[in-house]
Amino acid sequence: MSQLAIKSLTKSYGAFKVFDGLSLAADAGEIVVIFGGSGTGKTILLRLIAGVEEPTGGVIEIGGHDVSDIAPEHRGVGMAFQNFALFPHMSAAENIATPLRAVGAAEDKVKAGVARVAKLLKIDHVLNHAPRELSNGQKQRTALARALAAEPQILLLDDPLRNVDAKLRFEMRLELPRLLRQSGATVLYVTQDYKEAMALADRIAVLANGQFVQMATPEDIYMRPATLGVARLFGDPSINTADTAIVADGSGVHAAVGGTRVPLADSYRSLAGRDVIFGVRPESVELGSSGLEAEVMAVTPLNERTVLLLQSPSGWEFLASLPSSAATIPEAGSRVRASFAAAGTHIFDRQTGERLDG
Amino acid sequence: MAELDITRVDKIYHSRKGDVHAVKALDLVVKPGEIVALLGSSGCGKTSTLRMIAGFEEVSNGAITLGGKAIHALPPAARGVAMAFEAYSLYPPLTIGENMSFALKSSRLPQAEQEKRVKDMAEMLEIADILNKYPSSVSGGQQQRASLGRALVRDAGLYLLDEPMGQLEPQLRAVLRGRIKHYLREHNCTTILVTHDQTEANALADRIAVMEGGVLQQYATPAELKARPANLFTGTFIGEPPMNVFTADVSATAERVSFTVEGGTTLSYPASDMSEALRGRLAKTPRIALGIRPHALQLGEGPVKGKVTACQWLGDQTHVAVDVAGRTVVSVSQERVSRPTGSDVSLNVAARDLHLFDAASGNAIAHGGTLA
Amino acid sequence: MDHSSSLEKLLRSVAITLVLVFFLFPIVWIFLMSLQTNETILRIPPSIAFTPIIDNYTALITGQLRTAAGSLQLNFMQNMFNSVLLSVCSVALSLVLGVPAAYAFARFKFRLGEDIAFTLLSFRFAPALLVLLPLSLYFKTLGLTNTYIGLIWVYQLICLPLILWIVRGYFEDISPDIEHAYRIAGNSWWRTFTRISIPLAKPGIAAAGLLAFIFAWNNFVFALILASADKQPVTVGALAFVTASGIQYGQIAAAIIISITPTLALALYAQRYLVEGLSMGAVKG
Repeated sequence: MSQLAIKSLTKSYGAFKVFDGLSLAADAGEIVVIFGGSGTGKTILLRLIAGVEEPTGGVIEIGGHDVSDIAPEHRGVGMAFQNFALFPHMSAAENIATPLRAVGAAEDKVKAGVARVAKLLKIDHVLNHAPRELSNGQKQRTALARALAAEPQILLLDDPLRNVDAKLRFEMRLELPRLLRQSGATVLYVTQDYKEAMALADRIAVLANGQFVQMATPEDIYMRPATLGVARLFGDPSINTADTAIVADGSGVHAAVGGTRVPLADSYRSLAGRDVIFGVRPESVELGSSGLEAEVMAVTPLNERTVLLLQSPSGWEFLASLPSSAATIPEAGSRVRASFAAAGTHIFDRQTGERLDG
Repeated sequence: MAELDITRVDKIYHSRKGDVHAVKALDLVVKPGEIVALLGSSGCGKTSTLRMIAGFEEVSNGAITLGGKAIHALPPAARGVAMAFEAYSLYPPLTIGENMSFALKSSRLPQAEQEKRVKDMAEMLEIADILNKYPSSVSGGQQQRASLGRALVRDAGLYLLDEPMGQLEPQLRAVLRGRIKHYLREHNCTTILVTHDQTEANALADRIAVMEGGVLQQYATPAELKARPANLFTGTFIGEPPMNVFTADVSATAERVSFTVEGGTTLSYPASDMSEALRGRLAKTPRIALGIRPHALQLGEGPVKGKVTACQWLGDQTHVAVDVAGRTVVSVSQERVSRPTGSDVSLNVAARDLHLFDAASGNAIAHGGTLA
Repeated sequence: MDHSSSLEKLLRSVAITLVLVFFLFPIVWIFLMSLQTNETILRIPPSIAFTPIIDNYTALITGQLRTAAGSLQLNFMQNMFNSVLLSVCSVALSLVLGVPAAYAFARFKFRLGEDIAFTLLSFRFAPALLVLLPLSLYFKTLGLTNTYIGLIWVYQLICLPLILWIVRGYFEDISPDIEHAYRIAGNSWWRTFTRISIPLAKPGIAAAGLLAFIFAWNNFVFALILASADKQPVTVGALAFVTASGIQYGQIAAAIIISITPTLALALYAQRYLVEGLSMGAVKG
């Protein structure tokens, strides 16, 4: 039995449909990341589960029970908000204590509970501070501590790292999985940072146009994106694309990309003649002595990698991402030859954007 | 295409609560055609500097010259500077296209040439399809591209770009960075880019001026900043994920140089890995701050032992957090590696990847075995 | 360029001084009048030099006004009591009714919500005299004329719209996430309202309450028509100083000074609530 189940959930505001039949089941202790761009309704989904907003249709079950008629305070969920939503007139300790006090826990239980999560989140030294005296990072940890304090079965985290600086975000990204596992809760984690999604998720549910377009492990999402849209959302730099058609002849199966023939696996033969979009991830573009001829338009370092903007003689622009430690990084203005590693190559239907497998 | 010289420039804001020294004795030279990034967190003085160059702010001391001509006392319009604003500042009653051509109106370019420039710029920035729309009806990212286009389409001695790409759609960012860098090179534009995002600075700039507390910390190429940070601040500020830093006790003998970090782990190297001058220096320095970049910390055989606390694959790299005697250190691998949480690992770092800093002042002592 | 020369600074101080003189002069003048007899007030030319007396104040407090024409009974302290009672009760009732209503208008979207809120505000558009004629007839029928309850009821026309509209704005400024967070933490709607929403809107409630108090205190027309001597507030009671033997300027001035004291004290006390930041840094930014 799933700890949290959402069945054909719909939500509309007047004529505007936010969700058009969402379904999701999460097991106890599982971390599911809800991933999507801004305006896809990720936060609304969490609010519906928390019960502070009502769905238009569909069912939400927690621990096997329909919670439609249960008020938010009785649903047993904990939630951390993107804007922290700390109570400004209470100290950090009192903020964290609220869920414990709400159930009428004895004073020593409250103290112990606050101390436990404060230690876990390394904010024991600022417990007496008012929210306005806390740094952004401490606010964010206080908000997390408050969500965790009552050991809820369901933990809803609404982009909790959105408003902290890059360094802290990175630290928290490494720290969170352990924290979340320890809590034992089923976690729904909302983010629009694909790295956060891949780093934290057991499963990622990609939300677009009111539906989950793909729900899978980070590996599947990255290696086998269900649609071109999903492929574009994951990866930095984003996947290169080219409109083409699959051709099968005596010499094998191939597609014309950037004015050259890119060989494809024989399994794509059945798709011959189809109008498709060819996609290749920048890190799967390999520079060597053979393949598509291209001019290096610009060299832009990206952390420990170097991104090259390349242009084929036919005018196709594409990116290659090489480790900065690579033996030779070509200079802007030089000419290179590029080939595409099969693992990072994907074919999508040009009409529907859906992934095509040979 | 002019050289910009900033000489001993101060910016002091007077207020009732006391004076704020926002920029302190800044010296900076931007060569003709060079792309320079002013990089720092909020309040570091980068925006004050930009506003002084543009003329929105008076210099308290010092001089700014552009192409040999002192400009710091001129009104903004007379400085020959084009600027893209962080808040876009597009004219609301004009369409995106009109906004972009507005700056060309006063130039003596023929009409056809003006139109062509706007069209080419719009295509480069992928806004050709919204030229007839009004700023309020397009997204933040599109407004930002239009604002950038409006600045770049002009002929100016200097281009100032204030956080020019912060709102860009992630899917477009990498391609646009490449195209803009190509454009600036092609047109030999002297450019100053102000940003808090090191990724953007690294991608676009020839040289980066790292600022903190109103003081220029280091002015160098992106590669140099990474390889030879001048102090602990630049060392930890530049690089994602940030550098692992330990305090370490040094023991230097004729044969070996060893660093014992908190928790007792000892990193030991043959003396030949360090230059003689460095060994001499270390013999007098019992305690240092030791910096190791996550990319240099290699999983495998090595003296650093710990337990994996997180192993995260991000598609094109893997981040591994390891608990070493109570401290979390981070190792990054370009490949996909998978180590279960709780498993024991060993880490190694080569002498050429060590960054040594003075424990008290934070100034660099050595990088990769030679004195800084 | 944000430099301010010394000339600018000088001009700014001069401007501020002018404004201060303009607004404070009447108060200072009235205070000086309250310490003089009618004769010294009315002498020509006027002069600042005089021997201060406190007779005006003692007359008000003891209720005995001695003039050249003889002695007169004054109800001033009763008027004062009426003013305090009417204003305090009106504002208290308005807060009890208005704060929850303001919350409802701020948080819940319901049918005709905006229209109802606007109708309540529109009470303030109509001239008081327009409402008074029918109202005095109704009050007679209902037996509410010259009762505290009747006056407090009518004063709601002044206080309620003010409180509703000001406090509503403050409630709207509280991030709904803060309330959601408290509910999800296991608290009922009512607890969330009393423990989170009200404390966070306190500066707004204080400001609205203060304004409503001042408006109620300063009201003249309602009490003039709907109450007789024993229920009249100071504003109406001041008419008693226009006597057969002339206008008692000294007493009027003393009465004004006494009657502005409570509102002034309240304003000074509430000031810290008024300037206190609302969100106090709990939400990002």
